[in-house]
Order: sequence, then structure tokens, then C-alpha cells
Amino acid sequence: MRRRVVITGMGVITPLAQTVSELFTSQVEGRTAVGPITRFDARTFPTNFASEVHDFDLRRFLKEPDRYLRCGVNTQFALAAAQQALADAGLLDAGRGDRSRMGVYLGSGEGAEDFPALVNSIAAAVEPGTATADSGRFVRAIQEVLDAPREAELEMHTPAGHVANVFALDGPNFACQTACAASSQAIGEALELIRANDADVILAGGSHSMIHALGITGFNRLTALSQRNDSPRTASRPFDLTRDGFVIGEGAGLVVLEELEHAKKRGATIYAELTGYGTTADAYRMTDPHPEGRGAIRCMADALADARLKPADIGYINAHGTSTHANDATETAGIKKVFGELAYKVPISSSKSMLGHLIAAAGVVEMVISIVAMQKGVLPPTINYQTPDPDLDLDYIPNVAREKKVDHVLSNSFGFGGQNISLTVSRFTH
Amino acid sequence: MFRDRPVWPDSPRFPRVIDMATNSRRAVLTGFGILSPIGSTPAAFWDALLAGRTGIRQIQSFDASTLPCSIGGEIPNFVAKTAIEKNYRKSLNAMARPVQLGVIAAQLAMQDAGLARGSVVKERLGIEFACVMGATELGDLARASAMSSKGPRQPIDMASWGRDGINEIPPMWMLKYLPNMPACHFTVMFDAQGPSNTQIPNDAAGALVFGEALRIIQRGAADVMLVGGSESKIHPLSLSRFNAFAPLTKKSATPESAVRPFDRNREGTALGEGGAAFVLECLEHAQKRGAKILAEVVGFASGMDRGFKGPGLAKVIRNALTNAGIQPTDVDHVNAHGLGVRDLDAFEARAIAEVFGRDVPVFAPLNRFGNMGAAGGVAELAGSVQALQHGLLPATLNHDHPDPDCPIHVHTGEPRPVTRPFAVKISFTDLGQCAVLVLKKWEE
Repeated sequence: MRRRVVITGMGVITPLAQTVSELFTSQVEGRTAVGPITRFDARTFPTNFASEVHDFDLRRFLKEPDRYLRCGVNTQFALAAAQQALADAGLLDAGRGDRSRMGVYLGSGEGAEDFPALVNSIAAAVEPGTATADSGRFVRAIQEVLDAPREAELEMHTPAGHVANVFALDGPNFACQTACAASSQAIGEALELIRANDADVILAGGSHSMIHALGITGFNRLTALSQRNDSPRTASRPFDLTRDGFVIGEGAGLVVLEELEHAKKRGATIYAELTGYGTTADAYRMTDPHPEGRGAIRCMADALADARLKPADIGYINAHGTSTHANDATETAGIKKVFGELAYKVPISSSKSMLGHLIAAAGVVEMVISIVAMQKGVLPPTINYQTPDPDLDLDYIPNVAREKKVDHVLSNSFGFGGQNISLTVSRFTH
Repeated sequence: MFRDRPVWPDSPRFPRVIDMATNSRRAVLTGFGILSPIGSTPAAFWDALLAGRTGIRQIQSFDASTLPCSIGGEIPNFVAKTAIEKNYRKSLNAMARPVQLGVIAAQLAMQDAGLARGSVVKERLGIEFACVMGATELGDLARASAMSSKGPRQPIDMASWGRDGINEIPPMWMLKYLPNMPACHFTVMFDAQGPSNTQIPNDAAGALVFGEALRIIQRGAADVMLVGGSESKIHPLSLSRFNAFAPLTKKSATPESAVRPFDRNREGTALGEGGAAFVLECLEHAQKRGAKILAEVVGFASGMDRGFKGPGLAKVIRNALTNAGIQPTDVDHVNAHGLGVRDLDAFEARAIAEVFGRDVPVFAPLNRFGNMGAAGGVAELAGSVQALQHGLLPATLNHDHPDPDCPIHVHTGEPRPVTRPFAVKISFTDLGQCAVLVLKKWEE
């Protein structure tokens, strides 16, 4: 018998809400949190809006927050989501259970560079009128202004390391960065760690913010972001004919994955069973998905096969649905290939229409939404869906939530670099 | 134990191991690629290990002389253009140096394994790579910075940056530095459509990629996995940043003897750069194609040591031994992280001593090429793969004065014959994230 894995705790920090129940309510009501960027002065940027987390205070979540207040938001969001998820699962107390069998797996991003220090130091080293900077002069300039503790906290292992240290999770500790697929991949590989008996419990998910000057610069140069500056709140419009790019968001989500017998033995509340995981690579290009969605197709199919489910069993698809031309087209094509005739019957929606794209943290937050949708029998809509795209003709739950009892949900996450992840969650039955 | 998957459109039929407890799929190393400060072929790397050569020198590629630690492990004469496969050369300008090092090391490992594009079923070939976000090339931001800076310690003119500066930055700028780009380029070069993941926990990442790839092969999700890491901290921004917060040596005047693992006079580590990659292959697959086998990967564990006390790491080591089904007495040598940092070496030594006492020789190769961060675990491990292969364990350099705080047997002096079949590799981060691997000498 394969070890079964269930979800026994959930926590989120998102632009729409900082609790799971409020997040779901806002999704059902079709609210959006997209607005002008407030983290830095982005008024002249090609894109000047984002989906930001406001009114976040780590002190609400940690008993001893001081040491972590100097960390980047990546780490702070992760710690806050971790606190919620572990409290929800009844595992917050470090004395509960064998902590060496409880691990962490984050799909987490990089910290935000010290933008003024970097830019001023490069400027001090530039030969006037050229694109050449003298390294020696740069080194002399930047060492005068670097803030050492802040620099240490930029390192990519820090969110997963801090979460484990704060919450006494002494088991396996992993962190991956596979762009927009990262937190779903973290959940999938954490599932496999538990199946392989490397751990009994993994706190899995992700955390990310790229809402900083260099992040927006990078995505703007790649022309990946929507530039609908005159109407930010309707800018994220997955599957709509007039979609023009994604809306960047930020946040964190963590779920407690637990081996079934372990959960039963301690009388844990079981929200759902994590039943299937598919992971593939497009092997096509750096940013564009394969036009026929070859990686996406096999990844969805693999997740279904792993869960021993047939397409007809899936009652809802939480799409990657980024609101970019390429993703929404290939994802739709992929769903048609895997689901055949059934593709037109299965409701599909994109949480990103309301939340924006949480990048590395996107998949886990969408997983949490999928689980609550299954529990409540209500499927959140795709908002801002106004002009149908003739090639994208599936049921995207346009604009209004829908009541439907579902037993199995498929959640997709596809990332820059061609990594594809699909996960299935199922109503828990004994 | 195996079950056939249903056939979906375009989905390959393959066996999925359901019960990991009775799993019998074994994973062996069949190819090795290395770009390092001490050698950029397997043979050169081994020669340098055996001869006791170090690659720690004054930084040559830029003027680092104003930094307290201005030494490190730099790769001499690395020319990506000639090293990369011809039909992929045009992609080089979308790769920063750490990505180039990773892609080329991966390519070298595949060549060493005799695996050309198309030689593995594409859905059964994957990659697990260790890499972190690269530091920006200064030139990429030079014009934008000059336009928008109003002088040292002044706020940036954001209006100028967003309106004009941004247009001076190469369109592909961000893609050059993303951690998952070595994996991405590898999948495109080799049409690898299987699992692809990128681990980022700095010094632990190199061991974690082996652990995850081992499980992927064991559970039957792939037959061949490229496993590797790459990093270059020999960069004006990275070296300045690490000088600010990391425990680097201040003995820049004597680079060759500066980094001293487990030695009483240790006072800091040095950074390095490199790319290191192995092909990890399901044994059956390797034997069917008559591949040469370098070593077997037989055990893995990961876990925390909160507060660097020692018992946490010791437990991870024991878990890895249990996973491999062996005892401490089966182990030929321990391949330590051996940073040359006062408290971290003492911590590592306590854990090693708790499991092995003073009986098992400890080999610490990091001080030959510097701390390669995400790539480090892979490059350090390579020393043990080659030791098992050649039946000789090279010495640890710069360990002259044993330290009572490090009650272990560090192997120094002449190379020592390998007498037992297993080697243990230890990796950990400065937050206590530990990962341990167990290798087995390959014997037909």
C-alpha cells in the first residue's frame, strides 16, 4: 500500500486577505485587490499597478518577531502563513509530535536587492557615456553602503531555514525556485517525500514578492505584464480576447501535508486528500510555452494517472490562467487534449483574475482556494471576462461564482523555463 | 509493486513504484562534468585533488583588493563560446556566468555518460539542478543607473528610471539570472521532458538535488536524471555582499593556506565558482546500454540542526545511513563541508564524532576551490566519487594543527587507500539546513 497524504492545515497571506476564510469569501464575491504600486514610485514605469499585500504586520503572527522584522517580505509572509497553517493543524506547539519527522518544502523567491545601493554604486563606476562600469570602483562604492544583516537575509535559503527554526520543524528541508510553478512543485515533491517515508508531515507551499523596482523592470522588459494602466482592476482578464499580460501579485501560502495514519492517530481535521502529482518539462523555450502544450498535456495526464482518476472524475479545474496570450491559449488547448469532449463540461476558473499572479506562491494559494471550493461546494469565478476569445471556448465560470458539488479538483501551474506541475486534490473518504 | 499507467494522449506508459518500502530501483552515476578552479575535466580535477593543488588565489577578473577577503576560487580561462555545443551558442547571451557554467557542466556530464540528444526516451530524462539567483552584470544596468542616480546615498530618481532608464536595459535581462535557467536550457538542449526542478538552499542545495533525483529514480518517474549545480560568486556584487555578512577569511595575503578546515588556526572561508554535474541513472537502464558506472547513490536524508548543536546533524547522518541500510563501520570516509569557519567546523565535527568517533577519516575538499554555494555540494561530492572510483582518498589541505573542539580524524598527508565501500557527504547552510548523501563504490 502506498502511504496516503492528506491536508490538515492551511495558511495564506494574499493581497485579498490574510486568512483562508476571508480569502475564499473574497474569491466567491469576485473582489480584486489590484491597485497602484505603493512599494516604490512606479508612476513612470510601463506598468504602474500590482496586486499588493497591505496592512501586513508580522507581529500579529509571531510571539517573538523582532529578529525577523528585518527580513524581506518573502520570509515574513512565509512565517505568517506558516503560523496560520500549523495553528490550524494543531501542530504549532513545538512539543507536539516527533518534530524530526516534520519538514518544510518551500517554493520561494529571491529577496529584493538594495536598489539604491546597487544603482548608485554602479553609477559611481560608469565610464561617462558608456555601458561599461569599472568593477573596482563599484566594489569600493558599494562596500560603503551595504547593510550587512539585510544582505544576509537576501539569500535564497533563508525563508525555508527561518520557517524551520521558528516552528521547530526538524525534518527534511527543501526550497525550490521554478518560477511560477515553484509552490506547486514544492507541494508535489513534498507529497513524494511523505510517500517515500522521508517524513510524516511537511509544511509545503511558497512565498514570493517581485513587487520591487528590479522585479517590475525585469518583467516589463520581457513585456510579460499587463500595461493597462488606465484600468488596473480589470487588467487581469484570463481567457478574455483582450488579455494583454499578467498582473503581478505577492504573498504566501502554506499547507500542512500529513500522512493519513499520522493524521488519524492524533485526531486531526482532514480537509482533503492530495491524490496526484504530475511534473514535466516543455523542453521548448525560455519563456514561451510549447504551442500545443505538450508538457502541460502530459503533466495533467500524469497527475490524473498518479491519482488513478479519469478525466470524468474531475469536477473543477483551477487553471494557471495567467491572462497572457500564450498561457491561456496553450492551457486551453491542453485541457481539450486531455479531457476530450469532457473539456466543455468541466468548469474552469483562474484565481489570478482576482489575486493577480503570486509567482512562486501562486500555486499553493490556488490549491488552498481549490480545497475550500470543494469543501463548500462553491466554485470561484474568472472575473473581468467580457469578450470571448473564439479559440478559447471552454467554461471559465465567467464573472459569477457557481454552486457545484465536486469530489476531485485539478490545479495547474506552469512556469517560465517550461516547468509544468499539475496536482489533484480529492474529497477525503476513508 | 509496479503498475502500468493508463495511456493518456501523448502520455508514455511507464511503471510507477507504489510501495517505496519494497522499492528496488537502484541509481548509479554514469557521467561527470566539472568546471572548477582546480580543473575542468574529470582527469584534471582528480590530478589536482591527488597532488594537493589549490585554486584559491587573488581574484583576477576584477579589482577586489579593497575588500577584506579578496581571494577566491576562480576558473581560469573559461570560454563559454567554445565550450558550448555549437547549435546552442546563440543562447549564450541570455545566460549569466553561473548559468553558462551550469549548462556547460551538464553538457559535459552527458557527453561523459555517452548520452546524446535523443538517446534517452524524452519523457524519461529529467534534471535536478542547484542554483540561486545570479548577481546582475554591472554593464546591463550601467546606462540606466547613470541616468537615475543622483549620487552616493541619494534616493534614486525613479521617474527617470521608469521612463528612460528601463529602456536601456537588455530585454532579456532578468532571464539571464534566474535560478531555474540552467535546468531550462538543459531541457531544451537535450529534449528532456521529464521532471525538472531547481533547488536553492545555498550550501545544502547540492546534496538536496541528489536526494530528490534519487527518489525520482527510485519511484520510477524517470530513468536518467542530470544532477548538478552551478554558481559564481566571483563577481563584484556577490563578493562585496559576502564580505559584508559571511565568515570569510581575512588572510588574503596568503591565499593558498588561508582556508583551514578543522584546524586550530582557522578563521574563515573563501568563495569559489564552478559548475559540477553528474548523470544519475537507473541501474537497469545503465546496464542495458553498457554504460560505465562511476559509483552508486544509496542513501539520503535531510533535516535541521537548530542552533548548530550537533545532535541534529548527527541524526540526519544516521538517517542517511539507515536509508542506505549500512552501519558507521561500513564507511570508508566522510566528505565534510569543512568551511574553515571556527564555530561551523566545530559544529560539523561534533556531529561527525557523535556518529563515527575518531575512527573514520574525514576529507574536506572545499578549501581547494572555495565555497561554491549551490554548486558546492556537487563539486565536493565529486571528490568522493573519484576517490571510490580510483581506490584512493586524497588528503585534506591546510589541516596542520588539530583542534580539541574538532575531535575527528581529518585525513592529511599522502593519499590513503579506500578500504571500505561507502562514503558519506555532509552539506549544511548557515541556518542549519542539513543534507547527507551516501555513496557506494561500484563493483560489478
